[in-house]
Amino acid sequence: MRSRPHLHTSYSADQALMPTATKKVALATFLILAALAPIASSIPFYPDFLGNNDWMKLLSHVAIFGIGALGINLLTGVAGQVSLGHAFFMGLGAYVGVVFGAPSGDLWGWGLPMWIWLPMAGIIPAAIGLLVGPAAVRVRGLYLAFATLGLVFIGEWAWRNLKFITGGSFAGRRFPEFQLRMWKEEEPLVDFASDGVWLGFEISEEAKVYLLMLGLLVVATVLAKNLQRTRAGRAFQAIRDRDIAAEIMGVNEFKYKLMAFGISSAYAGVAGALFASFVGRQIPETWDLFLSVEFIAIILIGGAGTVSGALMGSAFVILLPRLVQDFTEWLSNVIADGEGLLASVADAVISVSPDDFGVVNILPGAGPGLSVFQLNQVLFGLLVILFMIFEPLGLYGIWLRIRNYWKGWPFTY
Amino acid sequence: MKTRFKWLAMIMALSLIAAACGGDDEAEAPATTAAPVTTAAPATTAAPGTTAAPEEATEEATGETMAEEEPMMIATDKGVDLEAGVIKVGMLSDLTGPFGPAVNLLVAGVNTFWADVNARGGVHGLMVELLYRDTAYSVDNHVQFFEELRDEVVAFGHSTGSPHTIAILPELAEDGILAIPLTWYSGWSDPDLNANLLSHGTSYCIEAMNMIGYLSDVSGENGVADPTLAIATFPGDYGLDSAAGAKIAAETLGLEIVYDGSGQIIPSQDNAPIGNAIAQSGADIVWVAANPTTLAEVYGAALAQGLVALWSGTVANWSPAFVAPDSPIKDAMTRDFYGASYFPPYTDDSPGMQNLRDLMAQYAPEVPPIDYVIEGFVEGMILFEALKVAYENGDMTQRGVLAAAKSMEEVDFGGIAPNESYVGSPNERLQRQTWINRPDPEGLAAGTTAIGTRVIESYYTHPIAADYYFEEACYKLS
Amino acid sequence: MEILAQAEYSQLAGTIVSGLSLGTIYALLAMGFVIIFKATQVVNFAHGALATLGAFITAGVAVELNFPGRFLDLPPLLGWSISVVTALVLSALMGILLERVFLRPMVGEDLFSVAIVTLGMNVILMTIVTDYIGPDPRSMADPWGDASVDLGFVIIAHTEIAQFLVAAALVVLVGVFFRSRTGIAMRATAFDQEAARAQGVNVGAIFAIAWAIGAVLATVGGIFGSVYPRRIGVFPDTAFLVFRAFPAIILGGLDSVKGAVVGGLSVGLAEAAAGSYLNHPLFGTGFSGIVPYLVMMIVLFIRPYGIFGTAEVRRV
Repeated sequence: MRSRPHLHTSYSADQALMPTATKKVALATFLILAALAPIASSIPFYPDFLGNNDWMKLLSHVAIFGIGALGINLLTGVAGQVSLGHAFFMGLGAYVGVVFGAPSGDLWGWGLPMWIWLPMAGIIPAAIGLLVGPAAVRVRGLYLAFATLGLVFIGEWAWRNLKFITGGSFAGRRFPEFQLRMWKEEEPLVDFASDGVWLGFEISEEAKVYLLMLGLLVVATVLAKNLQRTRAGRAFQAIRDRDIAAEIMGVNEFKYKLMAFGISSAYAGVAGALFASFVGRQIPETWDLFLSVEFIAIILIGGAGTVSGALMGSAFVILLPRLVQDFTEWLSNVIADGEGLLASVADAVISVSPDDFGVVNILPGAGPGLSVFQLNQVLFGLLVILFMIFEPLGLYGIWLRIRNYWKGWPFTY
Repeated sequence: MKTRFKWLAMIMALSLIAAACGGDDEAEAPATTAAPVTTAAPATTAAPGTTAAPEEATEEATGETMAEEEPMMIATDKGVDLEAGVIKVGMLSDLTGPFGPAVNLLVAGVNTFWADVNARGGVHGLMVELLYRDTAYSVDNHVQFFEELRDEVVAFGHSTGSPHTIAILPELAEDGILAIPLTWYSGWSDPDLNANLLSHGTSYCIEAMNMIGYLSDVSGENGVADPTLAIATFPGDYGLDSAAGAKIAAETLGLEIVYDGSGQIIPSQDNAPIGNAIAQSGADIVWVAANPTTLAEVYGAALAQGLVALWSGTVANWSPAFVAPDSPIKDAMTRDFYGASYFPPYTDDSPGMQNLRDLMAQYAPEVPPIDYVIEGFVEGMILFEALKVAYENGDMTQRGVLAAAKSMEEVDFGGIAPNESYVGSPNERLQRQTWINRPDPEGLAAGTTAIGTRVIESYYTHPIAADYYFEEACYKLS
Repeated sequence: MEILAQAEYSQLAGTIVSGLSLGTIYALLAMGFVIIFKATQVVNFAHGALATLGAFITAGVAVELNFPGRFLDLPPLLGWSISVVTALVLSALMGILLERVFLRPMVGEDLFSVAIVTLGMNVILMTIVTDYIGPDPRSMADPWGDASVDLGFVIIAHTEIAQFLVAAALVVLVGVFFRSRTGIAMRATAFDQEAARAQGVNVGAIFAIAWAIGAVLATVGGIFGSVYPRRIGVFPDTAFLVFRAFPAIILGGLDSVKGAVVGGLSVGLAEAAAGSYLNHPLFGTGFSGIVPYLVMMIVLFIRPYGIFGTAEVRRV
């Protein structure tokens, strides 16, 4: 029998995580492909570069920021409470993680295994989120955004001064490695922190971490997606859409706003702990305003309020600088060849000496015009702007349009 | 079009220069090279798969006679392509972050140095290509870009930032890769941290000792027998290492510290209260390790309160804007400030510096004659020496270059910086010299100095710094 | 004993002066931010870039172009004032241009989507201005230098006196503006864009004017943030001033110009007071920097829309 995507014969079918077989197959294919990325080079037709260690690292970064974005999406996208305090909770999670997980030394560290420090990195920020929540519940809209921004600055002050935990400003400390242990035994059960052989394949440290992050991201996604269809999830959306109406319908605004804060902080904390350990060493300045803003940008670029948007957004924001970098590098080579239309156009725009007119100057170093690295920054900013102007619904909006186009195909209206 | 192409080739951050020269090589190489193609064969110098360098090709291409006449077996693994005649070097630079403006000038020095080396035949005929990555002074970018370049390059020409460099140490150690840290942290003397690094120059800590020692002598000459000291620095390895040095000197000399603002200067905040506090403490000597804008803020606040003291700080505090003709603090700064630096000035008349000036004029005429480019040359020279030794050892693998670098008994900078040695114990080989500068507004206005200072002491070492024995870093990064 | 009391008295006076000096800068930046927000519904994350860019343009006009000094031999104060006015006109044009190019297409979009656009603008402008400023601060070439008046109990720099006068004049001007015909049209636009349009208000022109005013106020804030004794010239870190002014904006109320002034001054005073008096080691490093945020959070807890902000009327 052919499936009819909009025909739901029961409530549970309407609420199903994956309503259609197509969706199930697509998702399963995607997950399998993602999981196979580390052995890309041994699979035909699979882009080899994805299996390189630097891409493994980039993709792990995407997955970690995806987890963080799921948290901010829940609070901002689903429950409508715009928070610029995400970086604070990420920092908190990272430092809770390091106190529980790092071996003791000059700085605090209890050397507990990962199955303790990672959950704690979620639980304690959640508790702090619940503590801060009551104050935040009173404040709405932009005022809330700026009030939570205060948390980031207070956090920066705290991280700067809690030297016995953070290592101090611009100094930082090492974070625990990804190793699964029962307790404090020497030999880890599963070691994600060194190269090894899994299922007969040579798997590098970076690829192992990627697989771990992918697994955690899947768990986090399923939890987030599920939450949206529970009572709480519906309450969040009701509050977002019209808080007074929600209250009149019997939604306890205070309780659910607190809950959204708590859960989002838990996601942020876990993401922060993962990020710090993934980088290996972090300085307190990492958890600053720009990180918070980056997360708001991620969910808005992805499409606020949707789980897939949060994930696509984090892929966009993390991968875009790399793509821009590769693009300008390619452009440099085109100009170097000095032939063809593109080279002439680029040559006209790009200045190469003080007496050559152009906007960009490719020599890193002083001189008129932007360096190629500044050009990368400008292109990044410009792409974000153009993206928001032409697709304010974000990547999710693009996806919707593609889907609707094919739904009506061949009738394109 | 022709001249434009030439310029284009130049600006391509050396990759182009390398490509242009390399192109010549390639044109001739197939005809003359009969050696088998290189494959990865680390650690084994004469293993099968290694190949002879395309000597004849490069000789023809560069028109110079190389030291080695007969073909030599060179082991390579990553970042060296004998066939194409290219050595790739990674550069982890902060080009758009807080230190971007300074690092960009430094990079102009690095580029010029290598452009010249390549034009004169490269490293035994191999052209050096620099792969820049902009870390924007973020540790996660640093780690990511390290990973991106890890298998592409033979060594890292510089790595900006101490926590950033420490973050990649485990991976550097794992692969045996060499990196030149672009920081002057005293912790690089620690053998645990030093294994993969070629540190250079006088550390922040020693520099502070030299300057406090010198200024206490100046105070004595001015009739202040027991001068008091105020310290105000950034947090982090730079500020705290420097503050630690100042404190060691104060303790040795018996100076009273009347205000301790170690780590108190925060770039994004209002730092005027620190200046006010210094003014209230009435210190005779003020030691600052910050940057020009925050120094201006602290100094301006203290000056507005009427404090007259001897102010001093690292080279990173100094900006020629302090003594520019329309600077509000020109006269006060000229009266009060003693700057420290790691090198002789740009205007020095040593042959090395003369050569540097000529090359800068030739390759990067638009770059102002500012001392940052000297550091660029110094880094380049260290790596050039290491690559040459590695080639002569016949091992241009990552580990080979590291081993070669760690065996260099003397790197001669031709007078643009004190010579470095990389063998022997840290306490024997560490640099302890400082150049002491005074503001020179007349020189700046007349164009005799671009940085606005004149040197009053060269190769200065105060006994405190000379005698200090490093057990560990002055300020320990955990 | 009396000397000690004298010292305390003078420390208090010094704190008040530096607090007001900080506060007027915050107030100028906050006013610009609030006017832009009120009239165009844009949360301008690029305000710091506007301030830096404006100050850089001033440095460019006064020093690099040497306008009007290259044509006329004027007394320093007059000459510099003409340079500054020229720079302000250029900054205003820049503000109008940015609005027209990047923000006009976003009219009617979600507040935060628009904020992300300004964030992109911030990245672009800061990158460009950082490149042009180069490694050293660019002098403002102001005529006051490091001159100061000693009132006996407190020393005030001439720049600070100028800053107080200019800020007061601008506050009055903005107040007068909002009572003018255009100002009323702007208030109408702030209230309801469509209704204002229906009444014959040229909403596009109002947007342009709001951005011009915002850019001018940001520039003046940037200039005074870049002169002695605070700085010796404009540098990319001038943009930090705006992040420090955020609490002032919120404290007064996001849509209240009066609130921006009160908020700016009180935040400046609180920060300076914390800097002078709360320096017990217990407060740690940089406590004065978070005092504005603490004050803001406390105020928000008591008054969720700031002191003068309009409370949102919540209807079902």
